[in-house]
Amino acid sequence: MKKVQFKSSYSQYLFLAPQLGILLIFLYWPIIQTFKDAFTMQDAFGFGATFVWFDNFLFIFDDPAYFIAFKFTIIYSFVITLITGSIGLLLAVQANNVMHGKSTYKTLLIWPYAIAPAVVGVMANYFFSERFGLLYHLFHELWGFNWYESVFDSYIYVIIAGSWKQISANFIFFLAGLQAIQKSVIEASMIDCKNSFRRFWTITFPLLMPTTFFLIIINITYAFFDTFGIIDTTTIGAPSGETRTLVYKAYMDGFRGLDLGSAGAQSIMMMLIVLVITIFQFRYIEGKIHYN
Amino acid sequence: MKKILSILTILFTFSFTSHSYSKTEIHWWYGNSGFLGDVIIEIANRFNASQDQYTVIPTGKGSYEDNMAATIAAFRAGDQPHYSQVYDAGAAIMVAQVKNGVVIGFEDMAEKYGIKVDADNYIPGIKNFYADSDGKMIGVPFNSSTCLMYANMDILKKVGIESVPKTYEEFEAMAPKIKAAGYIPLVQSHFPWIWTENFFSRHNLLMTDGNNGYDAVPTKTLFAETDAFVMHWKKVKEWYEKGFYGYKGRAWGDNQAPFIAGEAAFWFGSAASFGGMKGVVPNFTVNHIPYWDSVTGGKEYPTFIGGAANWILNGHTEEEYKGLAKFIEFMGSPEMDLYYHNMTGYSAVTKGGIELAETINFYRASPYHKAVGEQLSLEGSTIPGGYRAGNWPQIREVIYENVEPMLNGKISIEKGLKNMDKGAAKLLKQFAKTL
Repeated sequence: MKKVQFKSSYSQYLFLAPQLGILLIFLYWPIIQTFKDAFTMQDAFGFGATFVWFDNFLFIFDDPAYFIAFKFTIIYSFVITLITGSIGLLLAVQANNVMHGKSTYKTLLIWPYAIAPAVVGVMANYFFSERFGLLYHLFHELWGFNWYESVFDSYIYVIIAGSWKQISANFIFFLAGLQAIQKSVIEASMIDCKNSFRRFWTITFPLLMPTTFFLIIINITYAFFDTFGIIDTTTIGAPSGETRTLVYKAYMDGFRGLDLGSAGAQSIMMMLIVLVITIFQFRYIEGKIHYN
Repeated sequence: MKKILSILTILFTFSFTSHSYSKTEIHWWYGNSGFLGDVIIEIANRFNASQDQYTVIPTGKGSYEDNMAATIAAFRAGDQPHYSQVYDAGAAIMVAQVKNGVVIGFEDMAEKYGIKVDADNYIPGIKNFYADSDGKMIGVPFNSSTCLMYANMDILKKVGIESVPKTYEEFEAMAPKIKAAGYIPLVQSHFPWIWTENFFSRHNLLMTDGNNGYDAVPTKTLFAETDAFVMHWKKVKEWYEKGFYGYKGRAWGDNQAPFIAGEAAFWFGSAASFGGMKGVVPNFTVNHIPYWDSVTGGKEYPTFIGGAANWILNGHTEEEYKGLAKFIEFMGSPEMDLYYHNMTGYSAVTKGGIELAETINFYRASPYHKAVGEQLSLEGSTIPGGYRAGNWPQIREVIYENVEPMLNGKISIEKGLKNMDKGAAKLLKQFAKTL
């Protein structure tokens, strides 16, 4: 075997430098800074910083609001993943079967993905405002919906607001996944089985598993981190902090409450949670997936 | 051709920017938006037009909270403005920063640069709110409001009520009538500010230990152990259940909306709120906030000042501070004070401004403006004119978190207030560690 050997020089470092620089400045430096904050106590302006070991962590574990946020984040990411995944899949399958105007459907269904979460929240506001919200009044008629008092109702509010945009992301990836399935496999299955429903669950869906797995991770990450703007423009955590995600709580404590120690400790807890979820997924779910 | 054009554009831009550098720039960050933000820009414009040595550049950073966070972030990055507007709940944090050299106290500044507007020129109540424990003024009073009661006189007339309630007892007596006519008797926009902090000041009660933090760093709030406060919240819950009080969520505007729409008879809000309602709500009056006759024995006490002050930040040149001194002097002049009072509804903060208002019979022309100054300068209080408690923005969150379950009956009033005390004590302890 012939070995290709480049002449050693420093030029490769030069080419790597911009990328490494970006990583160092925007990724590693903030992480180091977060660790520093999490283990120190300081005033808002950064004075009087003292090393306090795990005091900040004990402080958040002693805070019932932290566990409420934790519970909500878990429920929220689970429900959002389920809803956006299933509706996205349904739409993708339907759009894939359409004969005419396929690209029009596609484009229209992708559009919401381009909207910023904060804008989605403001739009959801119009639907759920007590004064002129269509959905507010519909639900209010049905069961006395009132999101600023009922925890369940406020969940519905932020789940609808949070799902809508993410359905588009699921749609586009599922559609791409469907189109990547070889025609011959589909045709062969059509000969073997007349029932399209069964065909889908035994042939198509298993072949979509890599996409599904990818989307589960994407959706969980979305619900954890990207829904910040939605919460901030809809319920602001009402009622009594029940709809606050962990990110939102860290923001409130860090930037509104000006307690960087607690916010830093919460960020590290979040890192750990995401780490555990991801390891779990790669360990136990990925093994059951067949990549082509 | 394109290239030449773009080079020309760049040259032009530079020539313009370099032009503006011939004046000394003073940066002023603020946390008001909408109409109130426009008035701030107008103040800067007037100052800039009044002289040609300095340019004040006002920059809006969003809400009070946003501006405080932005100011702190800028300071940590060494890029702070000269002058920044920080709200009442952040006052303890700012006053504590004088010793770290972040904030320059107003009195030190006035002495060093010979500002003609001295501390005594400001109204006592307002002056003390932004002073340190020795009574030395740190923040420069700016937009000073308090909570007031707005009343829709058309609704009252329709149900046959002649005068607005002075006390909560009177309100309680008239609420069923208003409710029966299909209106919401009462809405309010800020639990922690109106029905907590100012409940204590309005009834001459201490809110925290350490004499509201003026004598010693506070370690706890006195919510659950103050009988009048427990009684008040029990009443609020009762009103809520009977439909005398309508809760519309946490957003300020959502609670104000029923009043603007003519669906609610009374709304508790800020002195600076009437600007948006003038001409929209046909016939409303601005009144003192009610008090419990049973608690004060018929006496009426002043409320705390709300709103914000401007704070001088360290780290700039002599020349720039000279300009800032001129600007502070300009803003403290009777004319500018009255201009701001008139435009926004915030209280006049200088003695000169109030005198000027009286000279020109201002309050006869605009009775809306009267209540704020009156309520703030009521006498007879034995508690300090403010509170010095750190982490207060977070304590306000704790209050909010417990009010909602208290109202919907998930927890009892006693339990809710105890939770607030517990949460607040933890945050106060945390703050004390950073001092």
